[in-house]
Amino acid sequence: MVFYQCSKCKKKWQHPVSICPFCFSELEVIRAKEAKVIASSKVSIPSLLHPKVPYYALVIEDEHGNRYAYKSMENRKVGDSLNLETDGSYDAVAIWKVNYNLLDAIEKIADLSCLQLKKDTKVLVLPTLVAPVHNYMRENTSLEFLDAVLSYLEEKGVKNIKIATQSFDDMPIEAMAQKSGLLDVCLKHKMVPFDLSAGEFESIGKAKLSKELKNNDIILNLAELKYGKASSVENLLKLFEKQNYQALKYLHGEECLGEIIKEINNVFTLGEAMHPQRIDKFPIFRSLVFGSRNASSLDAVFNATGMVKNIPKQLASINISNIPTVGRTISEVQRNVDLVL
Amino acid sequence: MYIKGVGMTKFDYSTRSWWDFAYSAAIEALQDAKMSMSDIDAIVFTSISSAAGGEHQTHKVSFLSDIFKTNVPIIELVSVCGGGGAAFWTALKMQGFKNVMVLAAEKFADNRSEVATDWILSAAERVYEQTEGMLFPTQNALVWQAYMKKYGATMDDLSLIAHKNHQNAALNPKAYFYKKPLELEKIKNSPEVSSPLRLMDCSLSVNGGAAVILSSEKSDIEVIGSGFATDYILTFGRDDMTHFKATQMAAKEAFENAGITPKDIDVAEIHDAFTSVELISYEDLGFAEEGKGAELIRSGKINLDGEMPINVSGGLKAKGHPISVTGLAQIYEIVHQLRGDCGDRQVKKHNIGLTHNIGGAGGSVTVHIFKKI
Repeated sequence: MVFYQCSKCKKKWQHPVSICPFCFSELEVIRAKEAKVIASSKVSIPSLLHPKVPYYALVIEDEHGNRYAYKSMENRKVGDSLNLETDGSYDAVAIWKVNYNLLDAIEKIADLSCLQLKKDTKVLVLPTLVAPVHNYMRENTSLEFLDAVLSYLEEKGVKNIKIATQSFDDMPIEAMAQKSGLLDVCLKHKMVPFDLSAGEFESIGKAKLSKELKNNDIILNLAELKYGKASSVENLLKLFEKQNYQALKYLHGEECLGEIIKEINNVFTLGEAMHPQRIDKFPIFRSLVFGSRNASSLDAVFNATGMVKNIPKQLASINISNIPTVGRTISEVQRNVDLVL
Repeated sequence: MYIKGVGMTKFDYSTRSWWDFAYSAAIEALQDAKMSMSDIDAIVFTSISSAAGGEHQTHKVSFLSDIFKTNVPIIELVSVCGGGGAAFWTALKMQGFKNVMVLAAEKFADNRSEVATDWILSAAERVYEQTEGMLFPTQNALVWQAYMKKYGATMDDLSLIAHKNHQNAALNPKAYFYKKPLELEKIKNSPEVSSPLRLMDCSLSVNGGAAVILSSEKSDIEVIGSGFATDYILTFGRDDMTHFKATQMAAKEAFENAGITPKDIDVAEIHDAFTSVELISYEDLGFAEEGKGAELIRSGKINLDGEMPINVSGGLKAKGHPISVTGLAQIYEIVHQLRGDCGDRQVKKHNIGLTHNIGGAGGSVTVHIFKKI
């Protein structure tokens, strides 16, 4: 958990306020290395936000004396350390809560997933860009999420960053990037998104995939997660050549495309679920972020956190209990998203 | 300022609209004050229930203008469970108005308990607390754990508080538990909702309305003290997890205002959203020394026949807790106690009374002191 402290008068905040209102000094970020349980209550009454009981509501205290609330499905004892495991395996899915600070959440997902980025790593950022609509509609990668991802890459010193996607309908990506505001975020980071369709593709079996796959060390798949969908997999399909995508989809269905995508091994999906759309397209407050090398695993886990039953076949066939999760557990963040916005 | 009239509906689970509860309470207060709506110069209204039960009604001030057929200024303010007290405090500060009606109404309990629990949870911090499962019983359970660890009080002490308030409510025709006393063993054996707090340590979410008419013109009840303080929404980020600083500050202000001490209080209505909150508040209000709250309930001094009865109405625990209405319902009880017309639950000494109303987990607190003239 991150806290903020006034560099002058030492007042502390858990909320990322901009400046101290007493002395107008800048705030310092206080990060903790250790955290221990100082109190625990077993909760036996269900609520819409927390339908699964019992759970344990903990009060955690870090080495700086900062205290905060933490939900656990595990009965942790007073004095126990709050240690989080990491898992860099292909199927593992990291789940983390965004406490206003997206950059911090992305860093946490990277740590939990053992994601290594070096200064010379070539990164292709693949945002979700599917409609020329405002940010709050949650169709596309949000402005704040893209901004945080690019800031994270810059913080890591990554020099070679490209942003690209492709439109599978008649709407040019430039128009969508402009209307959604994503273009402004790219420009803020001195980048210009490009259209993958203008580049080269190469055949790999039945598929024709963008050469950017091979030109980059890692594809950062920024999936704008939506309930009832395989959003992460869908966004990766933008790496197909358009006609090839349409032909394969027509002949073999989207599941076949998903199978091809599985063969790509240099993808890391960052799934944004700040306010994901429900099946009825209404955005819902979740404040979560997910990370995985396996886009299908991530989609399956994400849908499980919303207790969504109507999901694509390829996700329904996945046994959730076989997917290792790190950070928060599915049960900790699970609720029926159909019940309340 | 003086209190001219008070009104309150019975607290229950009836399915009347919020405005109907408000209307009934207002009419009773007007009749009690021997006034009509034309005598009211302004209204301060409080409620949280605009989204519950399909009553999607946010511009309530205009709604109230319509049903009361008045065009006076109407202010709406929200301070969750502390709304009634905060509205009353606001009305006290309004200069240039002779008669101000303070009004509250909630149709809150009208769906499955998960919905009510979720609705109440919305008063906690959204990102750091709500999503971490910090329900209100849970926040208070954790505060109580810290208190027990530090001062050595027990769950049996809380059982005594619940028992006392249920006995009192059994004598109050407007309480939900009227004529329904509860045995001590049933309280002790009630199921745990958030350890260590049990079901019978929690107040009862009900529907209802209450109204108070404040006036600059002298009446039989004078408001002699008023205090209001707030505290951080992140309960565990406060310096002291075992007490409510806002109560201590509001009480200090109200007592200084009134020029009296806690020993001068004859009867009090304390915000017992949870039995643990009542016990901790004995200390925060100055009725017991720090760490000695349990001794006060064990002594019997605050029972109906004791030296300074507390929550003779049955409190939030057993009269019921219709969120924003509670603060005004407490004033309703104290006014009637000071007048001496409470029948079976009338306290012996009744010159000075106190009300204590909390919003959230100690996040906003008002304390008011009243004197019979």
